[in-house]
Amino acid sequence: MRLRKPKKKEPPKLVMEPMVDCVFLLLIFFMVANILKPTLPFTVELPDSEYRREFVRKKFNVYINANGQRSVDDKAMTDLDALEEYLLTHASEIETLMIHADRNTKHGAVIDTMERAKRATLDNIAFVLSDEEVLE
Amino acid sequence: MYEENQAKVATTARKSRREPAVDMTPMIDCVFLLIIFFMLATTFSPLPGMEVKLPPPSKAPNPVKPENFVLNIANPEAGGSEGSMTLGDIEVSMIDLSAAFMAGNEKQKETLIIRSRRRVKHEQIVTVMDKARRAGIQKIGFAMVASSF
Repeated sequence: MRLRKPKKKEPPKLVMEPMVDCVFLLLIFFMVANILKPTLPFTVELPDSEYRREFVRKKFNVYINANGQRSVDDKAMTDLDALEEYLLTHASEIETLMIHADRNTKHGAVIDTMERAKRATLDNIAFVLSDEEVLE
Repeated sequence: MYEENQAKVATTARKSRREPAVDMTPMIDCVFLLIIFFMLATTFSPLPGMEVKLPPPSKAPNPVKPENFVLNIANPEAGGSEGSMTLGDIEVSMIDLSAAFMAGNEKQKETLIIRSRRRVKHEQIVTVMDKARRAGIQKIGFAMVASSF
């Protein structure tokens, strides 16, 4: 008896093109939607509040730590003039200036920042609150 | 015979021309790594916040309407965390503040102006703003005071 020789099997092929298309679309989406978390030069512990509004995360956030040091995103600001100048250059890109002030920041430092923002033609200002839900 | 040969030549010629293949695997690996990076680095959650109204830009003192609430906050005493507060002329504690805001008439509830000393902690200001918002006060402004205040 003669056995039939097993057919030479071709290696199974994966059709990768559709997946690659999807992957590229995803990549482009994430690249466009991405706002990188800034690596701050200091830590900021935000205050809590029960009243809160939701704002869209955007670039150009002001951070003030408990000692009154300021930064815009991860760019440390040495003095108020530098802050004002920086905000003025990017004023057209800022809709609402979000101030992330530490809960122990002295009010004077916040007022100074708001004053400079006002001078840099930024009228809409909001204080950022802690992410944690407040339990009643 | 000739035709047969011709056909044979044609088929072998076609066989020998291989389709060009692009090896995409390394590129896909890179793209996947990039996607994972961007997915982890992207934050879509909204930012909780509280809006602030600033007084109009003028060198002149801000027109504080007598009918609005004006809350003065003094510097906290040494070792203390909260500064004492006066609403108009009446001293109020943080606990009584909500009731004091609620008791105000419609005109008073339009705007709250916070006049705070420089060493008051930001947390106290936010707490006051929270109570004001929940009492129905829509606009909260800050009296911009000279640095020596």
